[in-house]
Amino acid sequence: METAALIVVLVIALALFFDFTNGFHDTANAMATPIATGALKPKAAVTLAAILNLVGAFLSTEVAKTISGGMIREEEIAGDVFPSLIFAGLIGAITWNMLTWLLGLPSSSSHALFGGLIGATLVGFGLAGIDFGVVMSKVVLPALLAPLTAGIIAFALTKVAYAVTRRYDGKPDGRAGFRWGQIFTSSLVALAHGTNDAQKTMGVITLAMIAAGWQSAEHHEPQLWVIVSAAAAIALGTYVGGWRIIRTLGKGLTDVKPAQGFAAETSTAATILASSHLGFALSTTQVASGSVIGSGLGRRGSEVRWRTVGRIMVGWLLTLPAAGAVGALAALVVVWTQAAGLGVVGVAIDALLAIAIIAYLYLRSRRDEVHAGNAMSEVAESGLAVKVDENPPPTPRQRRRLAQRQAEKESKK
Amino acid sequence: MTIDWLAFLQVFLAALTAGVVVVGFYALGLRLLARSGRIPVALPATFTDAITVLSPKQIKRAEKSAAKAAAKSPLTEGAKRLSLIGAFACFAVCALAVGAGILLIVLG
Repeated sequence: METAALIVVLVIALALFFDFTNGFHDTANAMATPIATGALKPKAAVTLAAILNLVGAFLSTEVAKTISGGMIREEEIAGDVFPSLIFAGLIGAITWNMLTWLLGLPSSSSHALFGGLIGATLVGFGLAGIDFGVVMSKVVLPALLAPLTAGIIAFALTKVAYAVTRRYDGKPDGRAGFRWGQIFTSSLVALAHGTNDAQKTMGVITLAMIAAGWQSAEHHEPQLWVIVSAAAAIALGTYVGGWRIIRTLGKGLTDVKPAQGFAAETSTAATILASSHLGFALSTTQVASGSVIGSGLGRRGSEVRWRTVGRIMVGWLLTLPAAGAVGALAALVVVWTQAAGLGVVGVAIDALLAIAIIAYLYLRSRRDEVHAGNAMSEVAESGLAVKVDENPPPTPRQRRRLAQRQAEKESKK
Repeated sequence: MTIDWLAFLQVFLAALTAGVVVVGFYALGLRLLARSGRIPVALPATFTDAITVLSPKQIKRAEKSAAKAAAKSPLTEGAKRLSLIGAFACFAVCALAVGAGILLIVLG
């Protein structure tokens, strides 16, 4: 019993660390565009993002319930080994996350988490341990559809923003005012991030508690202390991580205009908030990237760089199975050592592995200078997927006016 | 395996509606604000290690152009005031829409 309690404590610590890294990594999702357009100063942006992530974590628990009471059939697979497998799944998620971060590959913390958990459960309990219906409807399909939804909406909203403020008389159009609006919409993105990403950690901790018998399987709601600690971890990660990422943001998003940024952020926040309400566990990075691409396309004269889009999408598609494979490997160590009668040696090996990876990355991050190659956010990178014409073609109305003027000139001659 | 496709449609329609209301009314508010003679010239924050979007020269030009356009406005004072009220009403609609959305999520 004491060993099981120790493993649950390890799971909680590792899950909170994962939450911290999630906030660390995703600050840029919320604050990339307002900083790039000059709407907010970096210090104010990071502080605001941290506070709103904290608040967002308290707004809804639907996503947490998807993880703690939907994806994995914990009522059928309860047993002493289950907390160890959750631990292995977390190791898989963190390892994959860190590896992609080091190699500069696009990834998603959320999908790494789901992949790790699914891979570990499959190794431990086989197909019966996973509810594939829930995985498909609440994880896989939202992963594919949410960035597309956000992109389409951002495209439409960018068109609306430009159409409403466009002036044909050459007078100032007031579009600079979208900078004020971006303070508001980027805050909404940070809030939405808290409602979705902090929930995933709450779900994992609750799942571990149910597996250990510390919480009834009939109540999948995270307990208050779980909500508070997950909210605090993501907020702290956001505050600490922002400084590194924001230093290089300008490189990727110099071309984002305030109206475009406003539309992209509104689309991101609306898509995440609506999805969180229905318990869809999304990758906020992917949704924000979809919005940035969609809003770029919403500007006249823009075209897609399909090669960049393809590279980003391959990274997204790889995350779930790759993290699943790493999680499965970590789970295999646990299962084999238990079968050999070595008790929790497997968990100890996994824990040592996790410590080694984290220590290596810490040292590596101290050694390396932050530059666009290793610290630029994926959302910022996705902005490069759209080539925007600096001198866009005229609108139909502008074309008609030009033709009219030309006709007038010719008639005068 | 049952997949609730309607839920995806719900997300799309809810996000699209909310987005159109927020962006549409905010843009309309800016348009009315410009019409009332208070053309927003929101200066980008400048900081040492990030980018500066507008140069000081561009900012001065924008401010001058805004002041010139406001001075030349053919609208009466009453019409300008009406536009200003309309602009703030639009911004209020945006804030209310967001507040209502969050309330819906919290109430579940």
